Amino acid sequence: MNQSKTMSFSKRLIGTLAIPALAAIVLLLLCAVGGKAMIGNRTSFNFFVLYTAIVMLTTMALSINLNSGRFDFSLGAIAVLASVMSSRLTFAVLGGGAGSAVMMLALNILFGALLGLCSGGLYVLLRIPPIITSLGVTLIYEGITFTVTEGKYVMDEVRNASMSAFSGNWYWPLLVIVAVLALIVFLFDHTKFGYDYNALKNGQKVAVNTGVREVPNALICYGICGALMGVVGFLNAARSTSINGGSLNFGSISIMFTAFLPMFIGGYIGRYSNEKLGYLLAAVCMSMLNSTFAAFSNEINASTQSIINAVLLVVFLIYLSNEYKLHALRKPIRK
Amino acid sequence: MENQKNELLARYKCRQMILTLLPLAALIVLFAVLCITVQSKGYRLDMYLKIIFNESVVLAVVATGATFIYTLGSFDISLGASTLFSAACGVMAYNATGSMAVMLLVLFAVAVGCSLASSVLASVFGVPVFVTTVAMMSVLSAVSAQIITTNGGALGGISIPSEVVKPFDVIWFKVLVLAVFVAVCIFLFDFTRVGRRQKFLGGNPVCAKLTGINLNKYAIIAFVMAGIGVGIGAFLTLVYTPSVTTGTASSIGMNIIVAIVFGGMPISGGPRSRIYAALVGGFSYIMLNNILKILIDTNAGYGISQVVSAVFFLAVVYLTGLNYRSQLLPR
Repeated sequence: MNQSKTMSFSKRLIGTLAIPALAAIVLLLLCAVGGKAMIGNRTSFNFFVLYTAIVMLTTMALSINLNSGRFDFSLGAIAVLASVMSSRLTFAVLGGGAGSAVMMLALNILFGALLGLCSGGLYVLLRIPPIITSLGVTLIYEGITFTVTEGKYVMDEVRNASMSAFSGNWYWPLLVIVAVLALIVFLFDHTKFGYDYNALKNGQKVAVNTGVREVPNALICYGICGALMGVVGFLNAARSTSINGGSLNFGSISIMFTAFLPMFIGGYIGRYSNEKLGYLLAAVCMSMLNSTFAAFSNEINASTQSIINAVLLVVFLIYLSNEYKLHALRKPIRK
Repeated sequence: MENQKNELLARYKCRQMILTLLPLAALIVLFAVLCITVQSKGYRLDMYLKIIFNESVVLAVVATGATFIYTLGSFDISLGASTLFSAACGVMAYNATGSMAVMLLVLFAVAVGCSLASSVLASVFGVPVFVTTVAMMSVLSAVSAQIITTNGGALGGISIPSEVVKPFDVIWFKVLVLAVFVAVCIFLFDFTRVGRRQKFLGGNPVCAKLTGINLNKYAIIAFVMAGIGVGIGAFLTLVYTPSVTTGTASSIGMNIIVAIVFGGMPISGGPRSRIYAALVGGFSYIMLNNILKILIDTNAGYGISQVVSAVFFLAVVYLTGLNYRSQLLPR
């Protein structure tokens, strides 16, 4: 039974909003003390929403397979390869004209889903541990990307008015967030696929023995993750107005490392409400942190930002892993 | 009936033997292919062998140490960053003191210290090992980048005078270091209870714990061994190239996993873990990459060669794991 359903509404509300509220208060205070604005203008707000979308989608893509015990290193490579292919194709058809962003987004989803399916197909076909399959798939996708782009940045194909209009208006990324969140909640919480997914997640052997078809379920999961990463690839291209085609030797896996902290935060929030909503709120927290870093860019360099992110991840995990000890301290055993 | 049973058992053992020897056979085949490819292209074989050896020896040493961690069913992707950080600290120590002994001391202390930090976080605070190592990787890469860019520059990096390490840049010395480290690891892994218990813990942690084996103790030993491997790897990296940039050892962390699996060891660890897997796999992987780079000699060729080596990697893993297929999808 879902733990959150047995809680009172107020407890659920407080549990859901505690971390985002705390993060907002601390970061806003820091900005106020430093005399900076976390989101100073419209451009900052546009990037804030865009970054939230990127983090939320990456976190969802990472967690779908990871929660089922399947670690997938290939997520970053899927995002890059899907966006390289779709940007080239879109540019060939529309030449950077009107509708380029929409076409590229649609193609990114399609190519992402296909690449995810290929990755999942290889996993179910070879039946070797998913972490190993994903290592091979990452190398293959990175290699294809490098060959297609000759190791160069893809720039002309993604620098056009249509893409600028997408990244320059916060409501487009917001639309992506709402649509993806609704779709994922529907798919995983209200369909047979979702019920099977949860059954397999919580007891693989029992689920299979009771008739749940594991292979199609795994393939759909990989397809969804691929499609999500396709969208991430598009959003990244819109954000940085270029795609790095020169990542080899697992250079693409850093894309998913940003999703670890929000995944754990989202899981924590999920205890009080819905896990997917938790991922959104966690992505908002990460985006606030990112905006604060941007506001303090003269004082905090990229290395320090990485260290702060890593320390936050470890501290939060230490708390999660030792939470029961704190509860035990608060509630002494009754004789 | 009994004969049929014996025949089946003999056939199974034969198949097992073939699968065990497959990685070694692949290494021999790759070596032969390398020699033929280099000769047919008219390149100098001795030069290529030297390059491949120098690249492989670092990977093999670090991966051999890491085998102890992977045997427990744990995972560490921070070892590349750890190698970079140790090398950077070693260079800084030498430049500050001018002493080789101090450099070595700092290099090993930092390597083992980083490894211990990961294991303490994992075992004392109960943080998942993989996530700990992801965080360690970020921290170590960032701190190394800070040290390198502040003291030298991202491209040029920091360096020690080449004459300091030149006496060690000879094949026999590297072979000796590799042989001694592998021998120590084999002894520890196959002839002491440390190795036996680690395999037990990797194979069935619940059962191992119920028999009184202390997971934390053996996890710390595993991370210390990996740290020593990182220290030696960092030293050998400096011996080969006395300058450290932000890109130094960047791919080692992931290549270790590929090397271990390429050598025929399951990523899940347990009783089928083998120390020599890292050695065989490390040399095979680097050799394969170099063969492909020679064959596809264009800029785009780097991408194609990575695709081919990945397909080869998956094929080897598939073949070596043929005997361990289950009806459920593996996790």
